[in-house]
Amino acid sequence: MARGDSLHRDEIPPGTLYLLILKTLARSGEMHGYEIANSIQRISDDVLQVEEGSLYPALQRMLIKGWVTAQWGSTAGNRRARYYQLTAAGRRQLAAEVSQFERVIGAITRVIQTA
Amino acid sequence: MDRFGELARRLGMLLRRRRFDGDLEEEMRLHLELRQQEHIESGVAADDARAAARRQFGNVTVWRAKSRTAWGWEWFEHLAQDLSYGMRAMSRSPGITLVAVLSLALGIGANSAIFGLMDAVMLRSLPVNEPAKLVLFGDGLDEGISDGFPNPWLFSYPFYRQMQQRNQVFSDVAAAFSMTNRVHGFLEGQSDAEAMDIQLVSGTYFPTLGVRAMLGRTLSDEDDRTEGGHPVAVVSCAWWTRSLARDPSVLGKKLTIGSTVFSIVGVAPPEFFGTRVGESPDIWIPVSMQKEVPPGFDGYNDHMFESLHLMARLKPGVSMEQANANVNLLFQQILRGFSGAPLTEENLEKLDKTRVELNSMATGFSRLRRQFSAPLQILMAVVGLVLLIACANIANLLLARSTARARELAVRQALGAGRSRLIRQLFTESMALALAGGVLGVAVASGASHALVRLVSDGRDTLHLNVPLDTRLLLFTLGVTLTTAVLFGTIPAFRATRWNLTDSLKDGRSQAGARAKGPLAKALVVSQVAFSLVLLAGAGLFLHSLVNLTNVDTGFNRENVIRLRIDPSSAGYREDVRLTRMYRQIEERVSALPGVRAASFSIFTFNEGTWNNPVWVQGYASGHRDTDVHHNAVGTGYFTAMGIPLLAGRTLGPQDTASSPHVAVIGETMARTLFPSGSPIGQRYGRGGPENAGDIEVVGVVKDVKYNSLEEDPQAGDYLPYTQNVRYLNDFEARYTGDFATAVAAIRQAIHDVDGTLPISEVMTLDEQVARSITNQRLVAELSTFFGLLAVFLSSIGIYGLMSYVVTRRTNELGVRVALGAERSQVLWLVMRESLWLVALGIAMGVPVALAGDRLASSMLYGLRASDPVSLLAGVVVLTAVAALACYLPARRASQVDPMVSLRYE
Repeated sequence: MARGDSLHRDEIPPGTLYLLILKTLARSGEMHGYEIANSIQRISDDVLQVEEGSLYPALQRMLIKGWVTAQWGSTAGNRRARYYQLTAAGRRQLAAEVSQFERVIGAITRVIQTA
Repeated sequence: MDRFGELARRLGMLLRRRRFDGDLEEEMRLHLELRQQEHIESGVAADDARAAARRQFGNVTVWRAKSRTAWGWEWFEHLAQDLSYGMRAMSRSPGITLVAVLSLALGIGANSAIFGLMDAVMLRSLPVNEPAKLVLFGDGLDEGISDGFPNPWLFSYPFYRQMQQRNQVFSDVAAAFSMTNRVHGFLEGQSDAEAMDIQLVSGTYFPTLGVRAMLGRTLSDEDDRTEGGHPVAVVSCAWWTRSLARDPSVLGKKLTIGSTVFSIVGVAPPEFFGTRVGESPDIWIPVSMQKEVPPGFDGYNDHMFESLHLMARLKPGVSMEQANANVNLLFQQILRGFSGAPLTEENLEKLDKTRVELNSMATGFSRLRRQFSAPLQILMAVVGLVLLIACANIANLLLARSTARARELAVRQALGAGRSRLIRQLFTESMALALAGGVLGVAVASGASHALVRLVSDGRDTLHLNVPLDTRLLLFTLGVTLTTAVLFGTIPAFRATRWNLTDSLKDGRSQAGARAKGPLAKALVVSQVAFSLVLLAGAGLFLHSLVNLTNVDTGFNRENVIRLRIDPSSAGYREDVRLTRMYRQIEERVSALPGVRAASFSIFTFNEGTWNNPVWVQGYASGHRDTDVHHNAVGTGYFTAMGIPLLAGRTLGPQDTASSPHVAVIGETMARTLFPSGSPIGQRYGRGGPENAGDIEVVGVVKDVKYNSLEEDPQAGDYLPYTQNVRYLNDFEARYTGDFATAVAAIRQAIHDVDGTLPISEVMTLDEQVARSITNQRLVAELSTFFGLLAVFLSSIGIYGLMSYVVTRRTNELGVRVALGAERSQVLWLVMRESLWLVALGIAMGVPVALAGDRLASSMLYGLRASDPVSLLAGVVVLTAVAALACYLPARRASQVDPMVSLRYE
């Protein structure tokens, strides 16, 4: 990857970071921070770019809310890593966030199309 | 939804903060390394790969900080930081910190202790259901048995019953005897008699108050229906604990009092002490059983046996005015309806004018309140002032310290610390200081309040006051602590952060700082001196008054007299000749003891209540209704035992028997007022009405004595031989020589030789008994002296601190003066002048305040006008002397500076 690549990538809309993390974890079970960042980028075809460090404060807030739990485990390369996992509350939150997101996007789309 | 879980997780993080930091660090490092690895694998050079990874990640420090603050403990960490910083700063000057914390602890502790007592005596609600709905008939201050007509303070049992049945404003009415009966009873299974305080109450007492039993049941109206028919008792939780060790099988236990066996039906809840603050009866027994409880009152059916306090609970929606109207209407109707009421024209006229006053009973009632309200309020003001002085001191210390720290604070501000952050830090330090003082203060208070309760447990019996370290007290202490922190912390904190940065940075011992400190610190010292003078002058006043009181001529000789009480009614004696024979035997035996000059029984000695009623003198047309006479029934040895000098005629002797003509010895005031012309010897008078005016012949006149208090004016009084007035005389007094303990042992033995079952209690010297009657005056005098001296001590620390500071600041200048040839004494005077001026100013300001404050205390003074020049002058002298010493020490240090040293000091 060359320098400056990130300039062509889009910042994610504010407030959707929780949604992305929740969805990512829902799809793949346990992941550590690096994997979450990678997964978001890969699935969005490298369009969505988060400043990777911002994952961590978001993860803290999700831990406080009880949407995720964290456990130490080992990576494939046999290194200690903290794995995050969705809780039942997290799943409920995901459903809520998805439906809210769709409502907002739907509304925005209608506004754009009728213009 | 999941608030609790969230809080738990946040707290969990707080407890594992260290590990949290490590975990976060490791997690982020792994992330960066994996990303770097990824770049390396795609062919980027190691250094570039690391840079790229970092760029993608963002600012590691920021993200770590944000992850941390997400948990919401930022304030806590700042606080912890400020605290540990403050601790370090304070531990650098341990002496100052110690003085500050100790003076705060004393100040706060004293405030809490006095407040606790005040709360218990005056403020706290009765531990009953809805105390605000309870009313008391009259003021509850009268105690005893009266036959006055009409009497709006004490009531008869028949009156209570009629009031209870006929009123329309109360949901219920209750009655309680105005005094408790101290008896000696036997508890089932125990062989020794035990002293217990019994309160006779109506069956409605507990239901009206809304107090439920902790065990068993309370009394009910059914327990009070037929005279002598309900031998049941409810015991207090305290007595149950003390005498039965909380035995769960207490219900149904037998209690023998006099010759009647009572059965215990219930235990009152622990918080319920009764309705009179300061007394806590052990046992409650229905009024219907009064004849069975020694001394065996007979007032169940007697309209004129007025001995009860009445209390009632207002019906919902009934106002105090409505209740008042109804009660007074009934009061007139009931009294007029009593057969045998002395409805003379004179009495009816009085009845027309008499009204029963209803008072709220929310906080109970008490003679304590009348006795201690004024002293407690004065002490509260005193300790408040002491705390203010302590605050001024600490403000000064903090000012001095922030001056010394000017440079440090300036550096921090220059490096970008916000002013609010610095103020917060300085404030945290003040708060820590105050809290340390507060915590120690609570310890001081809990010790002090026990001591206080012991101190105020005066004369007749010990005071049952519960001053627990409860929430109210702790909240009060916390409030005081926070207030002190604000008082002494605010100004120094704002001042310390206001300096011109460059000035402070240029010069460590900055002139700017000194200027800032100058006038404020001086004002603080001046006010300290002024307040100290107020306290000292007040203390002087109370001490002077106490000295006057202790020098009062009691009329009897209080030295070398043992007095004690026996309880013949509990030992089965009735008021008959067997009783007087026992008295005579004991008097003879004790008088015969070596080391005993005389011994006698009597109803009273001093400060034990009175028995008074009007007398009629033979030969006078109308009765002297305004001449109440204090009676006492005594033995023949009474005047020798008490040391009351005979002025004319003879004292009582063995010739005055039950069958001989009735005689009396009278006091000089009675002689002067009732027999103004000629000698009273041989004259006659009587009690109970004009028809009895010839009953008693005066055989002697003795010196006047004090009856209830040292402050009272001379009272008319007489002494009747107990042989001719057969009744329980519980007081026994003996004039002795030699060792007190030996004499007491011999007297006890002699009494028990006559009758081994007689309970003996309250053994003390007459002097002690007199001293106990002025407990509150002594309390106020001693405590105000203590606090006055404490105030002076604190102020002198303030003066000393200020002077030391001034001297340090002027070392240079003084050095120059000495170098130029100034005398040491001149330098000394130069320095002292500065602070003596402040002291003089403080005194000048304190004198008018002291004079004004003393006037407020004038009701508590004896034999003094409020503006007592002696105590004011003494206050000024003490204060000036201590302050001069506090100035002198730093000034002397200043005068001894070596000019070379001081000039090099810069």
